[in-house]
Amino acid sequence: MNVDTLYSVLGLGTVAFPALLLSVMGLTSLLGWPLGERTTARATQGAVIGGLLTAIAILAMMLASGTRYVPIELGNWEIAPTEHFHFHLKFVFDRLSVPFTILSFVLVGTIGAFANRYLHREPGYRRFFLLYDVFLLGMIVASLAGTIETLFLGWELVGLSSALLVAYFHERPAPVINGQRVWSVYRVADAAFLIAAVTLHHLTGEGNFAGLMDKGFWPEGVAELSSREALFVGLLLLVAAAGKSALIPFSGWLPRAMEGPTPSSAVFYGALSVHLGTFLLLRVSPLLDLSSLLSAAVVILGLASAVLAAMAARVQTDVKSALAFASLTQVGIITAEIGFGLRYIALLHIIGHACLRTLQLVRAPTLLHDYHSLENALGEHLPQQQAGFWERWVPDGVRLRYYRLALERGYLDAAINEYVVRPFVALFHWCDALERKWTDVLSGTPSRESDHVPPTMPIGEELT
Amino acid sequence: MLAHWQSTSVDSHPRLAHLEHTIEHLSHLLPAQAPIRVFVHHNTLHAFEDQTFYDAVKQGSATYGCHAYLPEDRYRQKLARGRILPQDLAAALLEDPGEEPDRLIGFLGTRYHLRLAMLQHPLRLGPDAELRWLIAEADALRRFRDEAPVDVKEQMIDQTRRWVMRDLRNGAAAGDERIRRAVAVLFDRFGGSKIERWSEATWEAFTLQLLWYTCHHGVHGVQRFAEPLPPLVCHRDFLLHATGTDTDRYVNDVLIRFCAAFLDQGIARWTLPSRERGFLASFFALNRDSRPVDRWLRGLPTEIKRLEGIGYGALEIIAESLYLLGVDEAEEEAYLSRMLLALRGWTGMLWQMETNAEWAVHPAPTGTLVEYLAARLILERLAIDYFARAAWGNIGPLSDLRSRLRKGMPRAARVSVEQRAFLVFQLAQTLGWMPADLYRMSKGEWSNLVEEIESFSASERRRIYHLAFERRYRNQALDAIAAHARRAMPTTATARFQVVCCIDEREESFRRHLEEIARDCETFSVAGFFGVAMYYRGAADAHFVPLCPVVVKPRHYVVEEVVYSFEQSHRRRTETRRALGKASHRLHTGSRSGLAGAATALLGTLASIPLVARVLFPRLTARILRLFGSFVEPPPITRLLMERTDPEPGSKNGGLGYSLDEMVTIAECVLQDIGLTARFSRLVFVTGHGSSSLNNPHESAHDCGACGGGRGGPNARAFAAMLSDLRVRERLERRGLAIPRETVFIGAYHNTCDDSIQFYDLDRLPSSHHEEFERAKAALDEARRRNAHERCRRFESAELSMSPEAALRHVEGRAEDLSQVRPEYGHATNAICFVGRRLRTKGLFLDRRTFLTSYDPTRDDQENAILTRILQAVIPVCAGINLEYYFSYVDPTGYGCGTKLPHNITSLLGVMDGAASDLRSGLPWQMVEIHEPVRILFVIETTPQAMRGIFERNPALAGLVRNDWVQLATIDPDSPAIQLYRNGGFEPYRPETTELPVVKSSVDWYRGWRDHLGFASIADVNKPCGAAEEIAE
Repeated sequence: MNVDTLYSVLGLGTVAFPALLLSVMGLTSLLGWPLGERTTARATQGAVIGGLLTAIAILAMMLASGTRYVPIELGNWEIAPTEHFHFHLKFVFDRLSVPFTILSFVLVGTIGAFANRYLHREPGYRRFFLLYDVFLLGMIVASLAGTIETLFLGWELVGLSSALLVAYFHERPAPVINGQRVWSVYRVADAAFLIAAVTLHHLTGEGNFAGLMDKGFWPEGVAELSSREALFVGLLLLVAAAGKSALIPFSGWLPRAMEGPTPSSAVFYGALSVHLGTFLLLRVSPLLDLSSLLSAAVVILGLASAVLAAMAARVQTDVKSALAFASLTQVGIITAEIGFGLRYIALLHIIGHACLRTLQLVRAPTLLHDYHSLENALGEHLPQQQAGFWERWVPDGVRLRYYRLALERGYLDAAINEYVVRPFVALFHWCDALERKWTDVLSGTPSRESDHVPPTMPIGEELT
Repeated sequence: MLAHWQSTSVDSHPRLAHLEHTIEHLSHLLPAQAPIRVFVHHNTLHAFEDQTFYDAVKQGSATYGCHAYLPEDRYRQKLARGRILPQDLAAALLEDPGEEPDRLIGFLGTRYHLRLAMLQHPLRLGPDAELRWLIAEADALRRFRDEAPVDVKEQMIDQTRRWVMRDLRNGAAAGDERIRRAVAVLFDRFGGSKIERWSEATWEAFTLQLLWYTCHHGVHGVQRFAEPLPPLVCHRDFLLHATGTDTDRYVNDVLIRFCAAFLDQGIARWTLPSRERGFLASFFALNRDSRPVDRWLRGLPTEIKRLEGIGYGALEIIAESLYLLGVDEAEEEAYLSRMLLALRGWTGMLWQMETNAEWAVHPAPTGTLVEYLAARLILERLAIDYFARAAWGNIGPLSDLRSRLRKGMPRAARVSVEQRAFLVFQLAQTLGWMPADLYRMSKGEWSNLVEEIESFSASERRRIYHLAFERRYRNQALDAIAAHARRAMPTTATARFQVVCCIDEREESFRRHLEEIARDCETFSVAGFFGVAMYYRGAADAHFVPLCPVVVKPRHYVVEEVVYSFEQSHRRRTETRRALGKASHRLHTGSRSGLAGAATALLGTLASIPLVARVLFPRLTARILRLFGSFVEPPPITRLLMERTDPEPGSKNGGLGYSLDEMVTIAECVLQDIGLTARFSRLVFVTGHGSSSLNNPHESAHDCGACGGGRGGPNARAFAAMLSDLRVRERLERRGLAIPRETVFIGAYHNTCDDSIQFYDLDRLPSSHHEEFERAKAALDEARRRNAHERCRRFESAELSMSPEAALRHVEGRAEDLSQVRPEYGHATNAICFVGRRLRTKGLFLDRRTFLTSYDPTRDDQENAILTRILQAVIPVCAGINLEYYFSYVDPTGYGCGTKLPHNITSLLGVMDGAASDLRSGLPWQMVEIHEPVRILFVIETTPQAMRGIFERNPALAGLVRNDWVQLATIDPDSPAIQLYRNGGFEPYRPETTELPVVKSSVDWYRGWRDHLGFASIADVNKPCGAAEEIAE
């Protein structure tokens, strides 16, 4: 067996383990042979360890041989040959994808073990793990993606599972509303991504990152686009990244995502899925080199998000929202680092931050315990306010204004509701009214039966 | 300026005073849960405690929209599994006062029979479409219900056949035209000409169809009896029904965030500006100059300026808002109660912080609740105005809005003829009501029948099921206690060692195992603060914490001090701890800020090590951490500063501790309570308890209830220290309570989560006692292993085949596991409280469901002073625990705080579900999931006369018992005779059986079972033991 075969076997294994896990979990559920908790836990454990070991093996081989780029081709399906539509499934192992894959396996695996006990006896145990498997596969596919369409595939899987996990407790209204919110933001990001992908295909004839950025491996690639093309594609991708990473103006969804069970909040919104946007920017970072305008936009967006999130984090009174904004602060800084061209630092920052935040989030329910120990160690109540600068030097009025801005989370959600959702809904209401008018005219009578159904009491269980 | 609402009343002051009074009155409806760090169990429906239990749960349902009992099908499962027997249902129906079970319903039998049939077999109900399908497509009209008894079925078919053949076939029947026509139709359908050759099946179908027709015809035109829906009160409800927009969602969103910021005890680093000026002032300050983006809020700044311009206070704002909303004084209370309960967790916490939390870092000022209502009403008006306008354009004044919307409101769902007919149809099949009889009933009789059926509503059925369920367990318990009491044998020998525990039902198994292991030991129990009500500060603690029942306000302060020889190392270690604490606090806050966070995050990869270790190897990690921790812990030898020099107690040097006389009083009182006044062993252990777990905001709910949700170790230690003082013993002796010189008291602490036991002040143990201590300790160690083993049978994630050692390791792992949401099951399954001598229950397997309180009736005085003292503490505390578990179990999301999985610690005060929700009070599902909701049964070793005397002198206790919040029975001190308290008096209880399974040891009884277990007698334990019995291993 030569090295190349070994590479492709291992490389396939890295993706195949999560895929196999998902198909086993999905198929058994579909066929009505639900797996027990123990089997589920073992299967998850096996798949994660398998995937992790293959990824580490590849890393070891790459380090040993000094290879910096290992592509795994999985076929190039032409969907409509005459129109040159094709779907190119390809995975690459390079300095960006290998650390990110290993990080995903470690965090998702640890959280899998955590969730196995945390969700023990929970009616939605299997649903959780099914979504968890979708998420794992999505993360691995996105991390290893060698073409923009492969990345999109993983990106979608991550988005789908994230939104469904936010709405995990679907018997209460708030998680469902917030899940829908997350989903709609993701759709906007997806749309931007898709347009970017299509444009890229249009401009270069393919979505292959290697072709797009030949001459050198990540992060030293050079893109074969003009500066203006890069700016256009780059801005679209920036919108996509902003949606996924909750940068301004989409920041509102991140604290709302804390509706699901603690472990999913921890690994998904605190650690991995929130970094996926920055990962995308890292992946296409050669584009940024082509346009300083684009780089500047990335830096500004990153810093603005970081400042807003840092402020919001200071006024949050519940531990999960505080951690969500703390997370966003770092994601903003990471984005800025990417804009400045500090790719390795950004990568290191992502990995470190993801580990740290996951640990903090899984410890979130232990907060009272931890505060108690800290107070005992300090021998006093924990100092709350940095009494110095903020209390003493900032005038009351200014302080109030910043506090309000922070408490209202920069009014971002309200602004989206007001300036995007409202006009959008109004437009459709208008269309609806128009249609009603037409159908009434055509049928000669009021045509909408639902207009005349009297309200009925919702049927509920008798309480008393 | 005279505002318009004032014009309605000449003088506004009485009006405002009245409002304030109403609000204060309504505040009793709010959950009384204190900040979660000091979790104290209390009756969830405390507000209704002056009513009977049954009325209160009904009121609770109406007020909070929560369940009163379990759902019907849960009881039916219990019926199917034998946890309720048919005779229990019968007894519950017959014993239900005021329900006239003997009342006849026409010739169809008594009310009792009808109701029993309705309880025994579920009646199928459904929407019309489903019923029509059942009738037309399924075999409802072809075959009798499976539940119908065979003899009833055959009799019905036979009789119908005879009736048809005799009276109907040739049209000779009694003159009713309709029945003849129906029969004619049926004859057509079944082929009447061949009636003689009809098969059994045909006759069955014919009978059913005739029955169905008769029922359908009978109920036709009977008027409805259902009570009308309660009228809608709030504008929000009207809007919700009319438009589907829930204004509460918007209003709550603003208020949740603001309440959390206002009450925050230390999570946010920037605190709410001007929060010290009060709720309304800070709310106004924050919003006065804002420019809200949300449309519905855009009027807020103007409104605030207007109100401030007039100079209204909170009460005036409320009065004006009510006027503007068109709420008149008659419905004022209902309206305000809805406003308060819309976010009842938060409102309750505001009220708690206002009235009951002077010890907190940031208590809320007086008037907070009223100011909250004012703010809420302002927001309410804005939201209703905006959303009503959005739906209908110009809406006129808000005060008319409700009357204009009233027309379009939904009505109660109609009960159709089919639905009613189907009910009677099903009942007729089980009770054998013949079509021949039914068709003769008049409309009036039909109306009676339908009313009779419908009046036994789901809530009534659930109540009867519940009574039957409680009856089954009660009878089993009383039978077992009576049967076991026959075997009790008083001993006169002095025990090898004695153990005093808390009354907590979690210690029941521990004591039982200990007695099995060391048969010559004796155990006692008393409320786990051992009479030592104190503020306590440990050597490594920052603050004093109260360690006593919540109703007691301690006067004494006790600190733990490191002995002088370790003073230096203590100081060094304190400094090290402080430095480490500062560093980790800085890391904690730094990691959440911008640049410091970036620096932290770059090194964050290191965090993967504790993350992975903690999650995958919790027990090992905890051990390693403890090893490191031991280098900075306070040195091992410490003392409690027990003796006070100042005349008055205080928290400073001379004021710390107790005077000798106070110690003597405490010691005497507790020893008398438990009946330990003679036959002292050479070793007496005093064991407090508590619980420590991770990932558990409700951690303190697992601690000792008698210590007010604190850990009772220091109390045990203090009590032992008092009794170790020779001067205390001298004075006790002078009072007639002589403790032998060689008796040594040892304080200990039992952690009910990881089943560890820690002993205090062993450095003072005289060498003469070392060997005995070692042997006793071996027994205690074995007992905690077995205790862990018995606990593990309840944990689904623990194998049933585990050995006691593995079980101990398992529970140790649970306590240290970040991902474990069930570190222990706390008080779940509690059901009984036994007050009496241990010898009456020693060796009885009580399945960790019984609080045990030591009391020796033979040593009490004429007035029963000791029993009174005990019951005054024990009944309210145990009832509080039991009822909180009851309500959190029957409605886990309404009365309880739902599943722990999305819980989010907020303001250091409580938990929310997810990102933003009401503050959740009550117990989480993971804590109560194995509970069985029964009201606690007190079994007290005394006489009914004594109890009556105590009730007369203690109306509060009597109220709990009379109003059926708890069940009560007495067991005679000299015989196994039991008297049960029912309907205001004691009646003798006649045991159903005197049999009680006998097993060799506890483990033989519980091994292999996860579910609740019945009672059993452990052989041997009660046999007097011979010479020094060696413990296992």
